[in-house]
Amino acid sequence: MTETVKFSLPDAEQESLEESLGILWRLRETGSLSRSEALRGLAASVGEAAYAKLVERGYVLEDGGAPRLTETGETLACGVTRRHRLAERLLNDVLDMAPASADPDVCRLEHVLSAEATDSICALLGHPTEDPHGRPIPEGPCCAGRGGPVEPLIRSVDRMKPGDEGTIAYLRLATHPELHKLLSLGLAPGTRIHVRQTRPAFVLQAGESELALDGDVAKNIFVRKAS
Amino acid sequence: MPSPRRTLALVGNPNVGKSVLFHRLTGEYVNVSNYPGTTVEVARGRASLAGEIWDVVDTPGVNSLIPFSEDERVTRDFLLGAPEAALVVLDAKNLRRGLRLIFELADYGLPISVALNLMDEAMDRGIEVDVRRLSELLGVPVVGTVAVTGEGVAELKRATAKASRLAPTASNEDGLENALSTLEAFWPRERIGRRGLAAALLAGDESVPAPRDASDLLGAAAAIRRTFFRPPRQLMFEARESVVREIEAQVFSRKGEIRSGWAARWGAWSMRPWPGYLIAAGVLYLTYLFVGVFGAGVAVTFFENTVFGRFIVPAAARLMAGVPSPFWRDLMVGPYGVISMAISYAFALLLPIVTTFFIAFGLLEDSGYLPRLSVMVDRAFRLIGLNGRAVLPMILGLGCDTMATVTTRVLDTKRERVIVTFLLTLSIPCSAQLAVILAMTAGLSARVMFVWLAVLLGTTLAAGAAAARFVPGARSPFLMEIPPIRRPLLRNVFLKMRIRLAWYVKEVVPLFVLGTLVLFFLDRWGALRVLERIASPVVRGWLGLPGEATGAFLIGFLRRDYGAAGLYRLQKAGLLNLRQVTVSLVVVTLFMPCIAQWFIMVKERGLRSALGMTAIVGAVALGVSCAVNAGLNACPWILGR
Repeated sequence: MTETVKFSLPDAEQESLEESLGILWRLRETGSLSRSEALRGLAASVGEAAYAKLVERGYVLEDGGAPRLTETGETLACGVTRRHRLAERLLNDVLDMAPASADPDVCRLEHVLSAEATDSICALLGHPTEDPHGRPIPEGPCCAGRGGPVEPLIRSVDRMKPGDEGTIAYLRLATHPELHKLLSLGLAPGTRIHVRQTRPAFVLQAGESELALDGDVAKNIFVRKAS
Repeated sequence: MPSPRRTLALVGNPNVGKSVLFHRLTGEYVNVSNYPGTTVEVARGRASLAGEIWDVVDTPGVNSLIPFSEDERVTRDFLLGAPEAALVVLDAKNLRRGLRLIFELADYGLPISVALNLMDEAMDRGIEVDVRRLSELLGVPVVGTVAVTGEGVAELKRATAKASRLAPTASNEDGLENALSTLEAFWPRERIGRRGLAAALLAGDESVPAPRDASDLLGAAAAIRRTFFRPPRQLMFEARESVVREIEAQVFSRKGEIRSGWAARWGAWSMRPWPGYLIAAGVLYLTYLFVGVFGAGVAVTFFENTVFGRFIVPAAARLMAGVPSPFWRDLMVGPYGVISMAISYAFALLLPIVTTFFIAFGLLEDSGYLPRLSVMVDRAFRLIGLNGRAVLPMILGLGCDTMATVTTRVLDTKRERVIVTFLLTLSIPCSAQLAVILAMTAGLSARVMFVWLAVLLGTTLAAGAAAARFVPGARSPFLMEIPPIRRPLLRNVFLKMRIRLAWYVKEVVPLFVLGTLVLFFLDRWGALRVLERIASPVVRGWLGLPGEATGAFLIGFLRRDYGAAGLYRLQKAGLLNLRQVTVSLVVVTLFMPCIAQWFIMVKERGLRSALGMTAIVGAVALGVSCAVNAGLNACPWILGR
């Protein structure tokens, strides 16, 4: 499915609509999307009035109290969330900016990135599934194939070859409690690693430690290539 | 007995030379025992530190105090038991990992001192650590040591007396500090290590000992955890990590290249497909030579024929000859006698085998080779629902299935423990069995051995794959630290062997005596013959074996390897042809565990689970044995002529 949204510089209203949809999306993720919660969430940033506008534009339906995103609303909310979280990953992991200084840029980028640019960033980052805060990044059309013309800057260890080196950009730990062991074993973000071998199991050298792990663990470690 | 002396806990990452340092501090007066309720070995000793006598406890090596394994839980629980101080042992060349542990330990509020060990290895690699500066930054005494030579130990003893507390790292990013203090409030202020308890809870560890009046503790912790998007364990780690890296940057420097010696090269080779599999085969062959040929051959012959056959049994018989009652005589030195069967078997046949096995296993363990073997077998083990870590109990099973069953506790999940216990019961022959089996096949065509091995491997794979499907749960990912290859310290190897042999004599030998007593009474009351009659249609009809084999199998119920010995006699008497030898070998290997293993199974897995496994093992063993018999009958060419 291709998005029908235009990305010529958005006006203030467009921006505030997108931002509102992003807020609703996030409320829904935490399981607290009710009318009162939505109003409270919106009041904090774009103002309560935005709620009526979302309903009026046909992005949000109210059946029996709890608001629900319409199909158009869903597409827009998903898009803005995806752009926001990808932008955060980009500024955090590749450009190494502190979250505080990256925030204003992230908030602007989420409104101006084109679909192509978004997918390219996604590919560049190795199709990440979580933003730096651990929130899920909605999948885009590019994520299904996992390939593409852009050589990723960030790769999971299971895609690295013997002899490759890099710095751990982030870990995806939520999928299995065992993965927290990575931290106490020294595979933490910012650690430089060297891939010693990939078969029969992956062996990584981190400082003076050598760690063996299988593909199920390796695919949760994301590494920024050595420059 | 409560001791008025103060207790010093030795804490450190795995493979940092903690045990060697422990022996340096305590000398010879060491008592090794299992930590209550676990198989984890904890050594205790006494040391004179700055003129005072302390009890020193060598806790298992840990990477984190929020436990993943039984080892880590033991160390954590020990620290919660409020020792007076802790001595943290670090690997100087892996300072960062050690600092992480130190700052986790800070949450326990203990006075600590630090031994920066392996200074020699660090120096070899061009690593320099500014010990004085490190001590200033941490605010606790730090001493550089080389435990194997004793360098720095005297200074360490003095420094330990000056141990002091380390302030916990605080970070209120993401509301961590608030969450911690909310949870901390569940324990009284005077509870030692309550911040550590709160941190463990926040990280999702629900094994923490709960305070008396807090039934909703776990609920409260879960609710707090839910307010975090990223796992709190990771957030706490990051909070400490920034401090750790700052300190590391100030004291740690590397000059020059890492020299890679022969040990490092062998270490790397032994993990690659080439020549790793060749090395694995070589190591297994050497182990076989030592345990199978020397232990089970030379040593057993000496103990059995000379020590027991010439001296002990005749002496016991002479002694018992004076006893008027034939009942007591038979009970001691009859065919199923306690001395003639249980004791001579346990000590003459099994002890030399398990001793040599434990020595070989200890060498493999201490040299750092076993984790590399885990790497090599990880893929194969995936097929049977396990990961490479399970290589430890599986290899140990080739020595003694009973001990291996206990060792399944090192595995991370219940699912893995169940699968390994099942396979140990079904298809992993123990060293005693192997010895008899090797003797039986010695003069025969290699094809018998080959068929037996193929059936065993096939059964292991098929049964493992089936277990992987039906035992609930998901395969846990393979992740383990690979220690450097080091020359094994013989002192360590023998110490471990002594501990394991003591366990064997204390736990296993009594069960052999019990099993023999059961046999003795079954025989005396004629029940053995009745059972033989009942089982004989199956043995004769389905398995195509002579009726006499029934007796051997029945004994095998109680003592698996003794069953094999019974068959050995039948074979020597010329009662078995090649097909029958092959089938009976398969039967004794697959069938029931020995009685000691069965009791341990009940203890470890529970009665229901043990009975269920026994039933499945029985059915599979019978099915496979019948199939082998039928197959060999249909295609006699397999065994040649």
